[in-house]
Amino acid sequence: MATGLAPEIPSGGFSFGNFQRNLSLEVQGLHPPKAIKTGTTICGLTFNNGVVLGADTRATAGNVVADKNCSKIHRLAPKIFCCGAGTAADTEMTTRNIESQLELLRLNMGREVPVVVANRLLKQMLFRYQGYVSAALVLGGVDKFGSHIYCIYPHGSTDKLPYATMGSGSLAAMAVFERGWKLDMDEAYAVQLVRDAIAAGITNDLGSGSNVDINIIRRDEPKTKIIRPYEEIGLRGKRHGKYTYQKGTTKVLETEVIPIVVEEEEVVQRMDED
Amino acid sequence: MFLTRSEYDRGVNTFSPEGRLFQVEYAIEAIKLGSTVIGICTSEGVVLVVEKRITSPLMEPSTIEKIAEVDRHIGVACSGLTADSKTLIDRARLECQNHWFTYNEKMTVESVSQAVSNLAIKFGDSDDDEGAMSRPFGVALLFAGVDEKGPQLYHMDPSGTYVQYDAKAIGSGSEGAQQTLVEMYNKSMTLKEAVKTSLTILKQVMEEKLNSTNVEVSIVTPKDNFHMYSKEEVEEAIKDVA
Amino acid sequence: MAMSLMRPGGFSYSELANAGPVQHHFSPYTDNGGSIVAVAGKGFALIASDTRLSTGYSILTRDQPKLYDLNSNTVLGCSGCWCDVLSETRLIEARMKLYKHEHQKEMSPGAVAQMLATILYSRRFFPYYVSNVVAGLDANGQGVVYSYDPVGHCDQNLFHAGGSSGALLQPLLDNQIGLLNMEIKPTEPLTLERAKGIIKDVFISAAERDIYTGDGILLKIITKDGITQESMKLRHD
Repeated sequence: MATGLAPEIPSGGFSFGNFQRNLSLEVQGLHPPKAIKTGTTICGLTFNNGVVLGADTRATAGNVVADKNCSKIHRLAPKIFCCGAGTAADTEMTTRNIESQLELLRLNMGREVPVVVANRLLKQMLFRYQGYVSAALVLGGVDKFGSHIYCIYPHGSTDKLPYATMGSGSLAAMAVFERGWKLDMDEAYAVQLVRDAIAAGITNDLGSGSNVDINIIRRDEPKTKIIRPYEEIGLRGKRHGKYTYQKGTTKVLETEVIPIVVEEEEVVQRMDED
Repeated sequence: MFLTRSEYDRGVNTFSPEGRLFQVEYAIEAIKLGSTVIGICTSEGVVLVVEKRITSPLMEPSTIEKIAEVDRHIGVACSGLTADSKTLIDRARLECQNHWFTYNEKMTVESVSQAVSNLAIKFGDSDDDEGAMSRPFGVALLFAGVDEKGPQLYHMDPSGTYVQYDAKAIGSGSEGAQQTLVEMYNKSMTLKEAVKTSLTILKQVMEEKLNSTNVEVSIVTPKDNFHMYSKEEVEEAIKDVA
Repeated sequence: MAMSLMRPGGFSYSELANAGPVQHHFSPYTDNGGSIVAVAGKGFALIASDTRLSTGYSILTRDQPKLYDLNSNTVLGCSGCWCDVLSETRLIEARMKLYKHEHQKEMSPGAVAQMLATILYSRRFFPYYVSNVVAGLDANGQGVVYSYDPVGHCDQNLFHAGGSSGALLQPLLDNQIGLLNMEIKPTEPLTLERAKGIIKDVFISAAERDIYTGDGILLKIITKDGITQESMKLRHD
């Protein structure tokens, strides 16, 4: 019995009502819309003064390029960044959400939040959604403990690695890393290696394309900025013909001018007198 | 001579020691019993004329059909066993339609002759090719048509041999007719002249008097394709013939 | 892991709901991508294909044109399931040789076009998964283009775009060559040079948006003097 002092606690658990509704809608022919996926190459590695993250800039919807220059390196904190592959909306929303949580955490604790925390928040969130949030991430950043790269899978499992690649171009990129990676790399070498890995993804993976974006997070600098584009790989061809239309090419079917009549009206508002 | 032949003239696919296929030769001989057919090819078109043997006054002459349309642009005239010719004409028609279906173009006269000759030599006593003839066909054909190479006349005999001619006569009166054709044919003759020439020659070799019931005339031209002369047209054509 | 991310297509509720037995199929087809564009004009015909061959998100080769010179005045463009392209083009070659020997002449583009339609229809219930375009010069020396569906419907056009970018490029050709939806139309007839330019430009555009089109193009120019060819690079990402 529900009373004011002891209200009835609603029975917990997930409601399948909406699922059943969606299912019946689909049977009637109303299919859920398709999401844009970032068939992607992303990667990251640590070097002797921080981490380098890289990403391509192609977003696809099926076999069509939806965005030729999208940004796949997301900021979580001033010195923690995260590359995202998978459903574009999922990677964007997930990283923004975690960025907020990290900022709240920093304000509550009064100190810089370490990279492990970002990793833990991300994996816990992704695990809760059982893989239905399609975000495959490469997390990288520096904190007082050092430089870190984490590889985060959509179901919530993570790896802590010295170098990592993700997305449909991950094999192409990893091939470059496996050939060129060394312990204790300097910045120039590390950036070149990341550039080569992303370029390999761009050229050899059809899901990846356009430009290389790179972000270098240095231990000895308080802030960082994404270099966008770092390099343009897929270049647009030069047109041979001219495609400007003569004025009047498009037929005007009808013209109607509706004048805007401005009327002045005095409105007296009266207070209610009760 | 007949004695030496007797051993080898039974099997259609058995060569005699002299290298001859008697059954095929006999079939060619059978043509010489058939009614006379004359074809002349001019630059304007091709003409085919055929003698129709009205063996009885009770016979309905219009049911003797010695000239047939194969396709819009090709006609064929036959001499010999008319029943056999039906099979060959059916094949010719089928091949033309098949060619049109597959390639969306008219079949050439030469290709039609080739296709029909393939059927003509498919004779033999084996059982495994069902539907094939057990003896050579007893007809010779004259294909008259107009294709991309212009007006054409082809002759095919029971051996399946097909040869292009400017003018050709087959059937009982062919020997005399062919000789006259050689004398009278020239490359620059008009179609009208060719009709007249062919009827003149036919008249010479026919036993009966030439009239509109005992002769069939048809022409093939680039403009009007295959055209069989009506009774009136035949009468008109005969008028000129001396 | 990432495999599930690469699967194209959307999310389906019914897929989730049908937790019953799953039947697996063998699929005899694969899509190896590629695009074909052909344009016919007065006294010429042009046909071009890209040179990328791919499967899924992988490139098999960057240098495989999809054009076949059938004779001195006919070129065939094929894209789609590559193994079907190979087997179909071999059959066409054989059939054309047979025709040549049977009829003692070269096949006209019109004859090739009709023959291809009958070949495709002969596999009505197990079709060649191929987008075909035939370009050639007819008996009057005019350019002709024939396009097909996979089961043998044949259309004669003045221009056509087929393959993975077909739907992307056809409207461009409709406007630039078909001069559709224009109040003021250019009056001069389509020249060979302009047609070439348009073909190259539409491929550049296709490479921008279609992930299965890229790397390069091969362009065949058919005139009364025979077939010449040109090539051009496309973006390779």
